[in-house]
Amino acid sequence: MSETPETILNVNDNEAARYATTRILHRAGFKVLEAGTGGEALQIIREDLPPLVILDINLPDLNGVEVCRRIKTDPNTSSTMVLQMSATNIAVIDRVNSLAAGADSFLVEPVEPEELEAVSRALLRLYRSEAALRRALAERELLLKEVNHRVKNSLQLVLSMLSLQGHRFKEPETRELFAKAISRVTAIAAIHERLYQDADPLTVEMHTYLTGLGAELVRASGMEENAQARLQIEVEEMRLPTEHGVAVALVVNELVMNALKHAQPLSGPAVISVRLERHGNGQVRLTVADNGAAPEQPGSEVTGLGTQLIRMLARQLNGTVSIERAAGTYAVHVTFPLQSAVSWRPPY
Amino acid sequence: MAATVLIVEDQVLIAWHLADLVAGAGHRVLAMARDPAGAMEAAARERPDFALMDIRLHGGTSGLEAARMLFECWGVRSIFISANLDPATRAQTEALQPLGFVGKPFLPADVLAAVERAVKSISVQ
Repeated sequence: MSETPETILNVNDNEAARYATTRILHRAGFKVLEAGTGGEALQIIREDLPPLVILDINLPDLNGVEVCRRIKTDPNTSSTMVLQMSATNIAVIDRVNSLAAGADSFLVEPVEPEELEAVSRALLRLYRSEAALRRALAERELLLKEVNHRVKNSLQLVLSMLSLQGHRFKEPETRELFAKAISRVTAIAAIHERLYQDADPLTVEMHTYLTGLGAELVRASGMEENAQARLQIEVEEMRLPTEHGVAVALVVNELVMNALKHAQPLSGPAVISVRLERHGNGQVRLTVADNGAAPEQPGSEVTGLGTQLIRMLARQLNGTVSIERAAGTYAVHVTFPLQSAVSWRPPY
Repeated sequence: MAATVLIVEDQVLIAWHLADLVAGAGHRVLAMARDPAGAMEAAARERPDFALMDIRLHGGTSGLEAARMLFECWGVRSIFISANLDPATRAQTEALQPLGFVGKPFLPADVLAAVERAVKSISVQ
């Protein structure tokens, strides 16, 4: 049993009828507020937020159905329970209309006191369980936000730790190994910076994701300063399921790191281009190309982790890898089916 | 222009990483502060050109508090860094004339781009 009586707003312009209803509700132990017009009712509802409104259909200013519609469409008051009441002579269509406008129940006058009390209690019960659900949902949302925060912060710690450690090595080989590891982890971690700010956290928008990673590859390689290489990124606007997005980013990372190391154009700076585009027939094609001479013999490369990663990730994408060699260009294509992502939109 | 930057971040590893990046780009790190008091103390000794500010220090929102004090006392503005940059969080920083936002986990390139933008917008003033 609740200690404080629950509040019900009784809206009726007919004083005698309003008094009769209030009396029944008082006897049942409820606290009762009263209003004689629709305007007055809406004001009280906004200010006092009573859990239940008993609303007569015939009001002098606004029709009761319209009052109900306004209560239910205002997000601040939409959780209010509405019990619509009207005299016997009301047409069925009006009852239907009022329920369609969002009323939670309908009673035809005259009403037996027991029935009015029982229906009121039932609606208040519903109100309480809905309120409990809303609270639980709000708590979950807060928890989810907190967990996301932790995940992102922990990934940041991993990256910061690797970077600090990487700077401590003097030997070029070790530095390079570390730089590779950092670059790979960065590609994986960076997706989290994007996911939850989006309307849809189950897919990732590839243009911003790859452009950001590209800028980081440029910075980490120092190619800006020595002007020996340039990176061009052309990515069509498309969303991929998160796990595919990560796979594509990792492939791009490997291929660009490879190109930076091996692309040796006959003249001028190396130009490395990354392209992600729709390729007809529901396929997506990723191309990483450079203007350098092709690696002489990929024999030693095949055993490299990078090459293995590219093959495995292409397989994970259900894709195929093809290599195109021509005079002055070397291009790797990964073609894979564009999966219709399980998309998620908030329900409001 | 080489700027003097105050880093306010309670996770020491991340603060250190940020300091490395800022120094690597040719700027001076004034101090690494872990809370609003530390930030004010450092700024009282010498005014930074701007701060790299983690919004959530010690699990709260005290980065905002630190940024507000720096801004109100000395007009020092901040680049905000956070794992949560939803519109509501950004709106809270509006009155402090933020110099930029960087999401965590950050790409070092993003941090440096934000720092360069901040340096530009400050030297224009």
